[in-house]
Amino acid sequence: MTSFQPNRRSVLTQSACGFGSLAAAAMMSPRSSLGNTVIEGKTAKVKRIIFLFMQGGVSQVDSFDYKPILAKHDGQTMPFDDARQLAKTGKRTEHRLMKSPWSFKQYGECGRWVSELFPETARHVDDLCFLHGMHTEGVAHGPATLFLHCGSTNFVRPSFGSWVFYGLGTENSDLPGFVSIAPSIGNGGPRNYGSAFLPPKFQGTRIGSADGGDLAIDSLIRTDVSIEHRREQFDFLQSLNQSQILRRQTTDTELEAALQSYDLAWRMQKVAPEVIDLTTESAETQSMYGLDDPVTRNYGQRCLLARRMCEAGVRFIQVNYGDNSANPAWDQHSNLPKHADHARAVDKPIAALLHDLKQRGLLDDTIVWWGSEFGRTPYAQQNGTGRDHNPVGFTVWVAGGGFKPGYAHGELDEFGFRGIRGRVHMHDLHATLLHQLGLDHKELTFEHAGRNFRLTDVYGQVVREILS
Amino acid sequence: MQVRSANLIAVFLLLAAWLVDARAADGLPVEKSSEQVKFEFFEARIRPALIEHCFECHASDTEASGGLLLDSKSGWVVGGDSGAAISPGDPQTSLLYEALTYNKPDLQMPPDGKLPVEVVDAFRQWIADGALDPREADSPVERQQVGMRVEEAQNHWAYRKLQSPAIANGGDTKNVAPIDDFVQRKLDEQGLPASDTADSRTLVRRLYFDLTGLPPSSELERDCAKPELSDENAYEELVDRLLDSPRFGERFARNWMDVVRYGDSITLRGFVLREAWRYRDYLIQAYNEDRAFDKMIREQIAGDLLHSDDLHERQMQLVATAFLAIGNTNLEQQDKSQLEMDYVDEQLEVIGRAFLGQTIGCARCHDHKFDPIPTSDYYALAGVLRSSVALEHENVSKWIEQPLPLAEDEEERYESLRSQIVSIDERIATLDRIANKKLAKNVRAIPVEELAGVVVDSRQAKLVGKWMESQHVGRFVGDGYFHDENAEKGAKTATFEPAELTPGQYRVRLAYAAGENRASNTKVRIFSADGETLVQVDQRIQPPEEAVWVSLGEFRFEKDGQAFVLVTNDDSDGHVIVDAIQFLPIGKDTIPVPNQLNSDPIKAGLAQKEVDQEVVNELASLRFVRNEVEKDLSARPRYMTIVENDSPSDCAIRVRGDVHNTGDVVPRGFLSAVDLGTQIKIPEGSSGRLELAQWLNHPSNPLTARVYANRIWYWLMGQGLVSTVNQFGTTGTPPSHPELLDWLANELIQSGWSTKHLVRTIVMSDAYKRRITNPTDDQQRLDPTNRFYWRGHSRRLTAESLRDSMLVVSGELDLEVGGSLIPTSIKDDFNFKHVSTRRSIYQPVFRNSLPELFDAFDFADASISVGERSRSTVSSQALVLLNHPWVSQRARAAAKRYQGLELSGDPQGLIHRIFGDCLHREPTETETAESLRYLSQSPDEDRLELFIQSIFASLDFRYLD
Repeated sequence: MTSFQPNRRSVLTQSACGFGSLAAAAMMSPRSSLGNTVIEGKTAKVKRIIFLFMQGGVSQVDSFDYKPILAKHDGQTMPFDDARQLAKTGKRTEHRLMKSPWSFKQYGECGRWVSELFPETARHVDDLCFLHGMHTEGVAHGPATLFLHCGSTNFVRPSFGSWVFYGLGTENSDLPGFVSIAPSIGNGGPRNYGSAFLPPKFQGTRIGSADGGDLAIDSLIRTDVSIEHRREQFDFLQSLNQSQILRRQTTDTELEAALQSYDLAWRMQKVAPEVIDLTTESAETQSMYGLDDPVTRNYGQRCLLARRMCEAGVRFIQVNYGDNSANPAWDQHSNLPKHADHARAVDKPIAALLHDLKQRGLLDDTIVWWGSEFGRTPYAQQNGTGRDHNPVGFTVWVAGGGFKPGYAHGELDEFGFRGIRGRVHMHDLHATLLHQLGLDHKELTFEHAGRNFRLTDVYGQVVREILS
Repeated sequence: MQVRSANLIAVFLLLAAWLVDARAADGLPVEKSSEQVKFEFFEARIRPALIEHCFECHASDTEASGGLLLDSKSGWVVGGDSGAAISPGDPQTSLLYEALTYNKPDLQMPPDGKLPVEVVDAFRQWIADGALDPREADSPVERQQVGMRVEEAQNHWAYRKLQSPAIANGGDTKNVAPIDDFVQRKLDEQGLPASDTADSRTLVRRLYFDLTGLPPSSELERDCAKPELSDENAYEELVDRLLDSPRFGERFARNWMDVVRYGDSITLRGFVLREAWRYRDYLIQAYNEDRAFDKMIREQIAGDLLHSDDLHERQMQLVATAFLAIGNTNLEQQDKSQLEMDYVDEQLEVIGRAFLGQTIGCARCHDHKFDPIPTSDYYALAGVLRSSVALEHENVSKWIEQPLPLAEDEEERYESLRSQIVSIDERIATLDRIANKKLAKNVRAIPVEELAGVVVDSRQAKLVGKWMESQHVGRFVGDGYFHDENAEKGAKTATFEPAELTPGQYRVRLAYAAGENRASNTKVRIFSADGETLVQVDQRIQPPEEAVWVSLGEFRFEKDGQAFVLVTNDDSDGHVIVDAIQFLPIGKDTIPVPNQLNSDPIKAGLAQKEVDQEVVNELASLRFVRNEVEKDLSARPRYMTIVENDSPSDCAIRVRGDVHNTGDVVPRGFLSAVDLGTQIKIPEGSSGRLELAQWLNHPSNPLTARVYANRIWYWLMGQGLVSTVNQFGTTGTPPSHPELLDWLANELIQSGWSTKHLVRTIVMSDAYKRRITNPTDDQQRLDPTNRFYWRGHSRRLTAESLRDSMLVVSGELDLEVGGSLIPTSIKDDFNFKHVSTRRSIYQPVFRNSLPELFDAFDFADASISVGERSRSTVSSQALVLLNHPWVSQRARAAAKRYQGLELSGDPQGLIHRIFGDCLHREPTETETAESLRYLSQSPDEDRLELFIQSIFASLDFRYLD
């Protein structure tokens, strides 16, 4: 097993400035530290990943996993191993089944059933690969959200995007390699795009925040000073820096790196705002993403930005749909019909993104991953009209990136509670996504506190059935 | 490979079986022995199934999931974590069979789905027939410990006793400090020439930042940067002055705070740890008064179990225990057994790293992979910590705060406040009874419109099951109340959901008419933004507020979030009454009671002369007073801590770390690899925490003193003698100077664990004072990383020093000491704006909202013990220095300050002054020229601001030389 030698690592940490890639730096050395992460001797075709995070827990039986029997047995009570009750008491409990308020229809050549919540996404089912037998760790949002992003419910671990950035570097050194668009500050907040013990340069860059507002990168530019004055100031600063390096009469790679980091920052100030600026998109495109409708505007902007980031060479782009509350977005404990509001906000932008990536030929080397931290129960919570969290069975879909299009893997029981076939654990999904990016989840390690850590801990199996 | 050879054997055996058949076909009178039949059955039915369905995870070339191997007989005989997998002859008690049947939700194999019935049947038959299995293991299957065994611990340098190394040259030659003696020996060994001492200016700046975290003040610098500083006495004087400065404690407390993952909030939900700051102030004070470090260890681990008659000492002891309570734990974990073990794990991780340089947490699931720490040691320590209570469990568990002991008069004051509340409550109860005496129906009814806040009456509630409306007893809201007829328990619910609720904080109250036949345990659930809260209401007793309402607590409701109250008759022991739910917004001065009484039916009923006006008035004023007293009482200082468990107990090993899979119980104890030469016994009835502290502090414990001495070296020299300062295990780096390390550790112990003594000893050495130079070819070849200290180590300002330095230049730094900067108004740490200009150490370490600059400039991760901070050089730092409003505001303030100095006529003087204040040196000729040119382009305050900001961003501001 290869790992970074401490001295080697510190050299890289100090010298590789900006958003360059450790892996790329490693390749310059005679023997690549990450050499064995390349799978089956070929470089992966898939270059990047977009994660559409549906915070709060989309109900699978109301969206993409059609369970007609729920309507038949609506209102009947049955015993379930409710995850929350099981965690609290270790006992199974009786629950009242609740049918979906939405009707389902078949779509596409594959004939996949999709509820009326997602009519636009439904038109792309022939491009989607469904994982119906997902399961994960954590019954509450906090632990499950951290598990989804970092592979651990409690311990401080690097996030998925940081691992990808660390393993692959970036294709555009003028931009961050990992961005999280409009992330929530709740449920782990920055830890969900943090680098933990990986070098800090691999942490995700936040663009905008979950409470809406502008999609901007912190400290990217200042607007209170004219560009001419900023240019003059920058030239002055760099002349100072150069003379200070000379004055020291010592060569210090760290100082050289700092000098370069200013150049890079200057370039980023120019490049990043251009990428973030959505106004250069045609009216037609803007409308396709729903920018002209207040309902879809927020998520539409984020999806459109994701496509632009994709084209600009960003490695990992997370597009969040959520908020900062303890019961985020899709968390309908008491009022399931609210799912419709959220679906309306994301359905059109997601469909537009899929369409746009495909028409630009980007879907072949981009993975689009859609999902929540967990699903919801097929039964009502208490006597209300909502559903509780369900970490033992839910649906995630992936598109592009070498996954079988128009395919469905796994199955929950007839009520849609727990997987009975083709169960895929979140660790397995992580392993599979990494595999498609050309990274072996068992080899993508980092030495910390005396041992090698990896995203999947000691778990994870690549789900080969869904690879085309 | 395993699989393939197994297949070959299978083919061979099948062939053998066929030969037997063939002989039988020849008419020979050979009956297949039952053994042979079983062999055939195994080969035909069981082996292929094992290969196909089980080997992916349970073969010796895999990770042996659950510790179970199924590719040899010994594999299932020994079994996995849960014990033997098969009891031959008895399928029903065989775990393997049980897993295949999928009958138990937590034991189902294979994970992809149940095998076909006929395969499961074959396994049943095979086991029932005695589970004959011809396979032998290629390699012995007993659980191998891959790491170092406890008996071998002495093979690793860190576990060996401290040596007392001889100082070879010290004493007889000139006055060479022992440190330099040890360092020089290594340099000589390597043939490395050392660089000379840095100039005074450089040294002053270095000392200031290392010992106080602040830049030298201008006057001091002018004093000290004279050539005389090469004179030992002047240097020594400066060292002593800085060690005596209150800024020293602020700097060194922060060093230690990295190690103990200090934080003022918890990431999940942003809970604010309001009392954590007392622990920070404890550390600052402890370092300033040079408190013995072994004492600090005792206090941080078990201060609550120590004693002192001195009030201040007692406070120090108690506050120090926050060390165990400030972890960034996930309090909403629903499985509370898991939460408790995770909490203990977090404490053990920090204790292990901070004091011992050991990764104890690695032994939670299996024996340590590298170090001599068996799982039994982990649970021996876990037993100690589990014998204290760290959390009070609820849906979201809560950390523990205790009232801080106070001076006698203060204690008395709070005691009297408490008894005031008790007597007020008694009086209120009496008056309530009087006020609520039989009133006519029309008087008893309280119109909804007259109530404050948002009220949902029972008629608007969603009622499930049969509820009866009534007006029979007491006062009620609206037209009456409903009861559940004391029937069909568990089948009836009433949901009160307001049509609209402005987001915010509310006090939620339930109205009910009390009575003898009511339920004493009515379950009421409040669904708010923070989840679900269960409250039990005793409806037999008079509602405490206005004789109508009982408060269910304060809750936060969000836009589109859940906001409703659910009353059920689950398991209730009498009539469940639902009348109304009231959501009272909590504003600035909301004391709902007095105003409401104006329209109170009691008042209206005065005509009946059944209630005295005086009663009403007294009730109102009593409630007002109670509120005030309560406020006073809640201002009492508290501290974070853990408390001893009533019945301390040993902890069972959790197999593979699974909290619900218990193995052998191990007696409480410590790391067995550390040989003290004596046993520290944990007395009956005590948790063992005090003994843990004793064990850590024991003079024969080789780890504690080494680890701490190495930290002090690292904090000053920029690189540890053991470069992995948090990792002294076998995967850490061995010491570059083992003798020096032991000498420092001994010096620490002999000085009475004096931090200041060791700091002083180190900064007085030549090794500390060396200049940073370019390596010669030899130096580059022999020691490119300066492991042997032949030159000075490059230093850069920490996030805190960077921030403080800018505040110094802008003239805004507020040097006030101690106290909390957390406003009482905040509920969580999200989007907190750090506006204070106090030193960085006093800014709350909010794990979701760090102070400005902290994130970008490698501040320590406040969730884990950090030995060495990252040292990144990334463009986001450049962006912050160029564009962050906080930085430009400091530059602006500084520009204003310099404009006031009337140096405008003397740009060169101004430049000299600014360079002196920022970089503590004169500008070079090039710098002066460049600066003059830049400033002359448009000489105004804006330009000066950008100029100063450029100096802030320049390399010499950020990096020392």
